[in-house]
Amino acid sequence: MEGFLFYLGGAMMLLGGVAMVASRSAVSAACWLVLSFLGSAALFAALQAPFLAVLQILVYAGAIMVLFLFVIMMLEGPVMPAEAGRPKFWIPAGALVPAAIILVATARWVPGAGLPGFPGDLPPGFGQPVRVAQLLLGEYLLAFELISIVLVVAIIGALALGSNERTLPWK
Amino acid sequence: MNIIQHVANLLIRSVFHADPASWPWTWLVQAVVIGIAAFLAFAFVAIFAGPVSWIERRIAGRIQSRIGPNRVGPQGVLQWLADGVKCWLKEDLVPAAADRPLFLAAPYLVFTGMFGAFVVLPFGAQVVAADLNVGILYLLAITSLVVVGLLMAGWGSNSKWALFGGVRSAAQLVSYEVPSAFSLLCVVLLAGTLSTQGIVAAQGGWPWDWFIFRNPFMFAAFFLYFTAAIAEGNRTPFDLPEAESEIVAGYNIEYSGMRFLFFLFAEWANIWIMAAISAFAFLGGWQIPGIAPEQIAATKGWEFVGWQALSWTIFLVKATFLVFVVIQIRWTLPRLRVDQLMITCWKYLVPLSMLMVLGVLVLLALVPEGGGADTILRGAMVGLGLAVVLVSALRVRRTFRVDREHYREMEGRDLWYPPYRLP
Repeated sequence: MEGFLFYLGGAMMLLGGVAMVASRSAVSAACWLVLSFLGSAALFAALQAPFLAVLQILVYAGAIMVLFLFVIMMLEGPVMPAEAGRPKFWIPAGALVPAAIILVATARWVPGAGLPGFPGDLPPGFGQPVRVAQLLLGEYLLAFELISIVLVVAIIGALALGSNERTLPWK
Repeated sequence: MNIIQHVANLLIRSVFHADPASWPWTWLVQAVVIGIAAFLAFAFVAIFAGPVSWIERRIAGRIQSRIGPNRVGPQGVLQWLADGVKCWLKEDLVPAAADRPLFLAAPYLVFTGMFGAFVVLPFGAQVVAADLNVGILYLLAITSLVVVGLLMAGWGSNSKWALFGGVRSAAQLVSYEVPSAFSLLCVVLLAGTLSTQGIVAAQGGWPWDWFIFRNPFMFAAFFLYFTAAIAEGNRTPFDLPEAESEIVAGYNIEYSGMRFLFFLFAEWANIWIMAAISAFAFLGGWQIPGIAPEQIAATKGWEFVGWQALSWTIFLVKATFLVFVVIQIRWTLPRLRVDQLMITCWKYLVPLSMLMVLGVLVLLALVPEGGGADTILRGAMVGLGLAVVLVSALRVRRTFRVDREHYREMEGRDLWYPPYRLP
């Protein structure tokens, strides 16, 4: 069951990610990204973390992507013209990714170390909302709050990128 | 063993007095029972949407002093079947300029988002497809997927009216999710769990055990949730995404045939979902007065089935009543303007809902459950609720009388018909 969910979620994520990068219209790209998020939610569900799976859908697929789509539609998202050739940096980038995957995969299988085992029994309350809340609002509170700064930076960046023709307050 | 198998075993054991685990074809029996259950849930969405569309049109006709559909079958009850067949046979048009994949996929995403919500709705004491420990959060998450579908439909149609509809609906849903989530947070605070069955179990059968009458803040939270949920479902007075006079029909304007019907399915399924959430989160859900859930679980045989059916009926009655309220509100109130819609949400509903959370937290800390103050609060709230019901009933009675008198004055004869006898 877990294996099935893993391959299903992984395939969804890969398909969504590749199609998102490859699609020419910004709206299509955003929709493919939603598929990718759904795949990662399935992976969380397979890892016995239903709370994270639901949050993944609620926050990323349901709220953030909707905002993305909303903004793209407001700004008349550009449709890339069909080009004769792909940009040149694609080729080294395309070679780097499989190389990195192979590196990671082989690093885990160094002789003697064996496969990193999956713990047979999960601790009680694993993945339950209560346990996640204890970690998030107790142990890692500072990191949790600091992450919100990243979001602020992202908002400012989107504002700067999205309105190149309009007058920005700092211009 | 998952919860569906568990329920299947429970049903088989109590009805046939046999242990399914001892049968050689256990998995087959379970698969058949689960298949039937899934089919029933799926059919419930489809079949519920049909008659409700007819009921809504009859009520609309009544409110607008016209007749409404009354030709197909007695009183027109089969109108929805005729509509369904008509839409099924219609050509499935895709505009030439449309973004084809997005246009084709959008109705399914909308419908899937709505249907996914039925997984955690607690229909009865043991009748729930999956009692997830994140149930109510799951409900919020899966219904928020609908927005993506609406935006895809709006964009994919390549029509400015559809795009306006889609963008409006996204803005509206994202805004009104905030007060509705805050109102449900009040419920979660009181219940101490996110599981839908846990929320029902934290309440009781009698009205003073319901969450709505627990304290004044919960009373207000119910109405806040109901308002926000109507807005999330794109229903009048918040149906700006479908405002005919401004943008013709909204995100579904370019759709025809069955794809168009999928949007309507989702809309009516959404009414049911919001009514069901209100019923189980605030109005006690399936709880039978005087019977504890443990007593139901302990019964055997047909008695068990009987209690299940009764709990199911209680839940359905509560939710269906709220569905009627939603329909009546739709045909009673005029539509808001876009700016009024956003002002209602961000300037009134959001601060109010935050106040509700704060109030519930304070009362949770100050008033111990089961104490004297708690009893007085609950009693006062039940009294307030009764007063509201009484005032509305008297008001309706008076309106009917005035209506009948007016008819007699104008026409000089008694041809006025009561609501249960339609032309």
